[in-house]
Amino acid sequence: MSNELRITLPARLSELRDLAGMVEDFGDANKLPAPKVFAINLELDELITNTVTYGTFEPGTDPRIDIHLKVECDILTLTMEDNGSPFDPTVDTNPNTSGPLESRSVGGLGLHLVKNFASRISYEFVGGKNRLTLEHDLKPA
Amino acid sequence: MKIEVAEEWHDDVLVLLPIGRIDSNNAGAFESIVMRHINGGERYLIVDFSRLDFISSAGLRVAVLAMRALKATQGRIVLCAMRTHIEEVFRISGFDRIITIRKSRDSALDAVTGPSPAQP
Repeated sequence: MSNELRITLPARLSELRDLAGMVEDFGDANKLPAPKVFAINLELDELITNTVTYGTFEPGTDPRIDIHLKVECDILTLTMEDNGSPFDPTVDTNPNTSGPLESRSVGGLGLHLVKNFASRISYEFVGGKNRLTLEHDLKPA
Repeated sequence: MKIEVAEEWHDDVLVLLPIGRIDSNNAGAFESIVMRHINGGERYLIVDFSRLDFISSAGLRVAVLAMRALKATQGRIVLCAMRTHIEEVFRISGFDRIITIRKSRDSALDAVTGPSPAQP
């Protein structure tokens, strides 16, 4: 297996399991540390769930998600694109992570996790697609 | 999608061991199992994570729902034996400050039945 993996999926939660298996194989082939493989699968779960649950797609479009994983120069990059309406998940959602139980909601927590597991995150809307790029440093700074 | 959950009892403490993954596909199935036990009258619950490899925020939601339900019945829930990256998910979410997490099953048993209030 090469240092790149490209997958296009229909925007459905049922795709997550097979995808997780492919990411694990990719991790093994590239000798990625287990926590990084976990981080990628967590990010994919949270981001695909968001797209499937909250994403809006123009009538007539076939909701699709393109995933690209790459290892280069000690950086593991996950790029995810979807053909939904523009949505920037990097804007601050500020979930409550410190109040008592009663005030906690799980909304926004998924993106909060994504932002913490990635070293850097950027968003752009290009060619009619949302593109989210998540970089993970493989060597400690 | 289903989830396999092993169940063990220590006196009146129910220990649930989810196996494999809790993700957005099967968190609902896990929630049903947990809530069925709580609604059925179980008050002391341990979730032993030793056989779990993966959890996403969908799984954290189940923990919050279980805590709320058990608070109403003066019950307790303690989580234990998490792998490092799963512990990290709880820590980043701030859930480690509202839910009791122990390293081992034995320590979780002490916490769930002990005299001090385990729940903040």
